[in-house]
Amino acid sequence: MNNVNYLIHLLILSILQIVIVDNIHLGSYFYINIYILAIFILPYKVKGIPLLLFGFLLGFLMDLADNTVGIHAAASTFLAYIRPRLLLLTSTREELDEAHGTLRLEDFRWFLKYSFLSTLFFNIVLVFAEAFTFNDIGITIIRIILSTFISMLFILLYYFIGIKKVQQ
Amino acid sequence: MKEIIKLILKYHFTIIFILLEIVSFSLIIRHNEYQRAIFSQNASTLFGNISSMTTDVKDYFRLKEINETLANENIQLKKRLEAIEVLRDTVVRGTIVQDSLPVYDYTGAKVVNATFNRMKNYITIDRGRKNFIEKEMGVASPDGVVGLIQDISENYSIVIPLVNVASRVSAKIKKNNYYGSLQWDGDNYRYSYLNDVPYHVEVTEGDTIVTSGLSKIFPEGIVVGYVESVDKETANFLKIKVRLAVDFKRLSHVYVIDNDKKNEQNLLEAINYHE
Repeated sequence: MNNVNYLIHLLILSILQIVIVDNIHLGSYFYINIYILAIFILPYKVKGIPLLLFGFLLGFLMDLADNTVGIHAAASTFLAYIRPRLLLLTSTREELDEAHGTLRLEDFRWFLKYSFLSTLFFNIVLVFAEAFTFNDIGITIIRIILSTFISMLFILLYYFIGIKKVQQ
Repeated sequence: MKEIIKLILKYHFTIIFILLEIVSFSLIIRHNEYQRAIFSQNASTLFGNISSMTTDVKDYFRLKEINETLANENIQLKKRLEAIEVLRDTVVRGTIVQDSLPVYDYTGAKVVNATFNRMKNYITIDRGRKNFIEKEMGVASPDGVVGLIQDISENYSIVIPLVNVASRVSAKIKKNNYYGSLQWDGDNYRYSYLNDVPYHVEVTEGDTIVTSGLSKIFPEGIVVGYVESVDKETANFLKIKVRLAVDFKRLSHVYVIDNDKKNEQNLLEAINYHE
């Protein structure tokens, strides 16, 4: 995926999140976040401080749209922070080198593993930042699990419609 | 220094991450009512615990001093008791009708909270209505006069100390019995002023000021303080600067003084004095 392609995806994902997904209200147990896909599919060459700043700014933008100042920023900064580690965890060093600076997004099994872990970690931080307490931890955990699954559903939908087709 | 820079360079990714998270969470706390409420609640509980812990520790280190004060007071009380024993043995029984003397009752209490850097300072003690404390009772410490009870709840009482601009206590110069009204100027918590003492009275530095007993609140002769300086500027009265006997910053144990006969005396005076 080249830079122009990526920017188009970023734009579409942000608009989808702000205009459509933010207006789907399924109660406090389901938080749908599709924009985090833009962090998953960042070109591999984006790393270090630019990666963190990108995560923070994207989250901050979503906060402004969703009127939840700081919560998305905290979660997506965390997501940017663990991204290099998750990439190493889900693929071997050779696979990453082979990718020549871009990710092998057409590999569905790898994508599922990687995006599921990312979404889970993102939602852990997001829901805890929103609840801001360790009381009622059972309810918090249920919210994390349900939010992870509903977000994954939307992300995979976008993956099959937008990314996999384009890659082929 | 070189090592520190190396360390920062090595972990700059994590350091920047932590900084961004701090920014995020401070944004959360500042802009979201709910999270701010939880944060300030937990913070105040935490700081409350810390301050009560430090008070406990401080109290522990002052135990020696408090013990000494209490021991000294015990000695004083024993001396007085002996004097009374001697008196009782010499006086023929029955000549003194016990009930005719004003009876002062003492209740020990501990200071739980106090201010000393405002114009209107207050002290809270851990005795209240349950312990038969009433409004307008006197409060003293082993060192001297502390103040008056202003308000009471079930378990606590509020004391107006001498270092409150609203406090008025009748006091006299011990050596010649001239009395005046002790009033604080709101400045230094170690000093107060004795007003209304006539111009001609001989007062020197270091004279002892004691309670007059006229207010019926304190028994006569409890130490209030010592004369620091005498000012003769006003026309007819002296302005006597008094170094207070009680250091309000270090107050910990006090006595509440109850005069059984106060109400009776007040009632009688109320009926007759207005004419």
